[in-house]
Amino acid sequence: MKRMPTLLGILAAIIVLAAAPAFAQDVVKIGQIEAQTGPNAIYGWMSSQGTALAVDEINKAGGFKVGGKTYKLQLVALDTRGEPKEASVQLKRLVEVDGAKYIFGPFLSNVFLAVRPYAGEFNGKILMWGGATRIHDYVGTPGHDFLMRTWNWDAGPNGFGELMVDQLVKQGVKKIALLYQNDQGGKVMEDIYIAMFKKKGIEARLDYFEPGTKDFSTVLAKIAAWKPDYLFPGYADSYIYDIVRQATETGQLKKFFLVRGSLGPGLKNKDALDEYMVYVPKYFEEAEKKDPKVQKFIKAYKDFYKRDFPYDQAPLCSSSCYDHVYMLVEAMKKAGTVDDPAAVKKALMGMTYEGMWTLRFDERGEEIFNFDVVRLKKGGALEVTHINPK
Amino acid sequence: MIARAIFWGALALLPLMVKTDFVLTIFIYAFIFGILGVTFDLVFGFTGQLSMFHPAVFGVSAYMTHLLVVNAKLPFWLATLPAAATAVVLSIVVGGICFKFRLKTFYFAVVTLAFSEMARLIVMNWNSVTNGTLGLVVSGKPTIWWPGAGVVAIKGPVAWYYLTLVWLAATVFVCARVLRSWMGRAFGAIRLNEDLARTLGINVFRYKLVSFALGSALASFAGGLYGYYTGYIDPGYLGINQSMEVLAMVLLGGQGTLTGPIVGSLVLTGLPHVIDLRAEARAILYGAILIFTILVMPRGIVGTLRAWRARRAA
Amino acid sequence: MTQLVLGQVLNGAIVGSMYGIIALGITLTFGITGIVNFALGEFMMIGAYATFALAERGGLPYPVAVVPAACIAAAAGYLCNKAFFRFTRGNLVNGLLVSIGLISVFESAVLWYWSATPIEMHYVLPGAIRLGDVTLPKMKLLVFAVIVVVIVLTYVGLARTWLGRASFAYAQNAEAATLMGVHTERLVTAVMLYSTGLAGLGGALYASLYSLEPALGGVYVLKGMEAAILGGIGSLMGSLWGGVILGVIEAVGSIFLPTAFRDAYGLVVLVAILLFRPSGLFGDET
Repeated sequence: MKRMPTLLGILAAIIVLAAAPAFAQDVVKIGQIEAQTGPNAIYGWMSSQGTALAVDEINKAGGFKVGGKTYKLQLVALDTRGEPKEASVQLKRLVEVDGAKYIFGPFLSNVFLAVRPYAGEFNGKILMWGGATRIHDYVGTPGHDFLMRTWNWDAGPNGFGELMVDQLVKQGVKKIALLYQNDQGGKVMEDIYIAMFKKKGIEARLDYFEPGTKDFSTVLAKIAAWKPDYLFPGYADSYIYDIVRQATETGQLKKFFLVRGSLGPGLKNKDALDEYMVYVPKYFEEAEKKDPKVQKFIKAYKDFYKRDFPYDQAPLCSSSCYDHVYMLVEAMKKAGTVDDPAAVKKALMGMTYEGMWTLRFDERGEEIFNFDVVRLKKGGALEVTHINPK
Repeated sequence: MIARAIFWGALALLPLMVKTDFVLTIFIYAFIFGILGVTFDLVFGFTGQLSMFHPAVFGVSAYMTHLLVVNAKLPFWLATLPAAATAVVLSIVVGGICFKFRLKTFYFAVVTLAFSEMARLIVMNWNSVTNGTLGLVVSGKPTIWWPGAGVVAIKGPVAWYYLTLVWLAATVFVCARVLRSWMGRAFGAIRLNEDLARTLGINVFRYKLVSFALGSALASFAGGLYGYYTGYIDPGYLGINQSMEVLAMVLLGGQGTLTGPIVGSLVLTGLPHVIDLRAEARAILYGAILIFTILVMPRGIVGTLRAWRARRAA
Repeated sequence: MTQLVLGQVLNGAIVGSMYGIIALGITLTFGITGIVNFALGEFMMIGAYATFALAERGGLPYPVAVVPAACIAAAAGYLCNKAFFRFTRGNLVNGLLVSIGLISVFESAVLWYWSATPIEMHYVLPGAIRLGDVTLPKMKLLVFAVIVVVIVLTYVGLARTWLGRASFAYAQNAEAATLMGVHTERLVTAVMLYSTGLAGLGGALYASLYSLEPALGGVYVLKGMEAAILGGIGSLMGSLWGGVILGVIEAVGSIFLPTAFRDAYGLVVLVAILLFRPSGLFGDET
């Protein structure tokens, strides 16, 4: 039992670490709840990278002025691991202990639904903006003034999904096979897209796969026997890489239609596929060449993190990430306050921010921003369409 | 005895000193998982059966309780009873199969895990009832009659703190009574040596089943409470991670004790919120603490403290 | 329909052989040390990332990278054994808890270094072979062949070598084996090295077929456990058969029934078989 004191010492050290002094004067605190580790880390990871970068840039530039006072930002980014239970404790900590009024995240719907009741108690006193799909159901409804959704919605006249499906209709596509991950995101997409295809006269079939699946041969063979024009695999690159590889390797399916995910899987299999049509909030490889703001971001990223720029994941940065920190600062300046989230929200709703993206919110508080649709043809020929929703 | 009184006394008085919802929430979750841990220990630590079925019981009863409140218009308290009954029926079926065929240790663990996974897949895909992966939003709170105020909804962190604490204490009380009775002795005999227990005339099959069913029945309330506390339930509750978390709590706190799982639950629920490091470093430290604690204290925190005290007394 | 089923039976067998190589590690470790090395999936992950690092960053040809990758996994296994598992011997659940801790440590460390971006190796052997109406990727066939050879060699080797006889003796009666001069510590270390090395090899092969993410081992360790029990704990060839059967059931089940329930098909069969043959399909009837 001689080791007991050592262990207690370690625990005490941890507690001391936890109680690290927070520097006080004139800081605006931003809280963030995203999954940075765990099986669903892919969604929250890029967001938390971009936010930290923007906060660092703003502070290094000397902060920002509101009402004659100079403020700096302090980011408290917590890792939810994608667990609702953990996230709900963390949100309470951010609001009560850290006193953060601006919350970035979450990207995961199950996390959002678990923290929603508590956040609702602070309606008007906090501002939460996340990319979670299920936020769509609540944003702009009574009692949810605190909520804003930072991602384009799929359906509707400006919806990226609807605009993309219209292109399929123009091509005369008759049959499309959907292969989704059996989780919250997959289910929401089923509700959106099955109805959309039906309305537009495209026959659709849907298969779900268990999260964690890596071998899709069976379900792909099943789908191929149905002879669809396009395969519409769910989302998340960690699956799409495998789906596209396995579908093309055996030559069963060669045309892909994606509304989430990146161009990476398509490029990797460019010689084996016929077409790979994907929604990316921004096609970074091209934007880097044209847009100085994007160049600056990529350079800043490399300097700050000292690692390669993640072209695949960077488009996820359109959700509650880099640009949004700047937009929030602009809104605070416009509102003339840093302590009143309701006033800041009002300012946000009426403004358009020109960052890497052109960001604005619709009347419900759901974001509308410009995006790219990339069509990759066999051999690697690319066709990029820039879409600016009205 | 004194240590135990201090432990429960401190828990009972805590909200007088700590007012933040943040800290109380950690305790509320720790109590709910404590219920799960204590009942798991009844099956595992006291009867020697490594069951992986607890998350299924937890999840199914969370769903059952909520669905009965919404569809059958039962009050929360009444709805927990059919949920508990379902847990008992499920565990009699699963336990009956496993014990009939004398599956032990690793085999028992894997087969109960298999049943738990099947339960998860059913909950996950039975869209018309469970709303599938979208989960169910639980609005409303249990009500209670309070002198002077009449029937009031249990809201706010302090009320939930005491509700879950009382429930945990009641669970521990029931388990302690059972363990002190002849049933507890039968459980102990089965844990130590099943064959010997059989020759002593103990109906091993029956007592294993009793332990398993009782553990599940008591655990089912944790599910109902959890759903109503967080306000949202999804099939993730039935996953293998829950199993591992409860197991870790019991081992860390001390298996074969009733206080151990509660201590383990407090430590593991609190730990992630106490370490303030970047995400990856935090997860690494968390894992390292798990490993070193169990290596330094193979019998868990409470088990080791007890041995230490016993040695000092001697 | 026939070729769809036939193709998927073959494909299921290939996927299942990957479960088999993990199952072999589980069978060996559990049979000899009484530990369920739940962290075996992490050594698989280490093998996979090591292969990626050696082949993509280090510029080694893939077949050359596989061997050091498996060695790296085995070295990690050796260290974990020396530092942790040594103290949990014979205690199934404490070993399990150490494994849970290791999973958290390893996955986060990899995430820290590699980030959450999925990574995928260059295609080592692209293309597929057509056999009538059945198409199978070449690389998958190669992986299957390698795994079968490794498992058969293990089986043959264990029957012939000193280590093999010692392990059998030890698994049957530890005390007697010790008295007969079997050096327990050395034996356990050897088993630990071999099983983690196997998992590392499994990971190295995995890297040539699928994209990598830090949590990749979790699924395989569960399937490996199922396969080991299905085949019968302690039976070396049983682990291969268990894996193959599991893979085929999942594949064929998914053809006729919804894919969303894929994992359940294997589990139902596993439970059914255990009830009739509690020691697994190829285990000793004791």
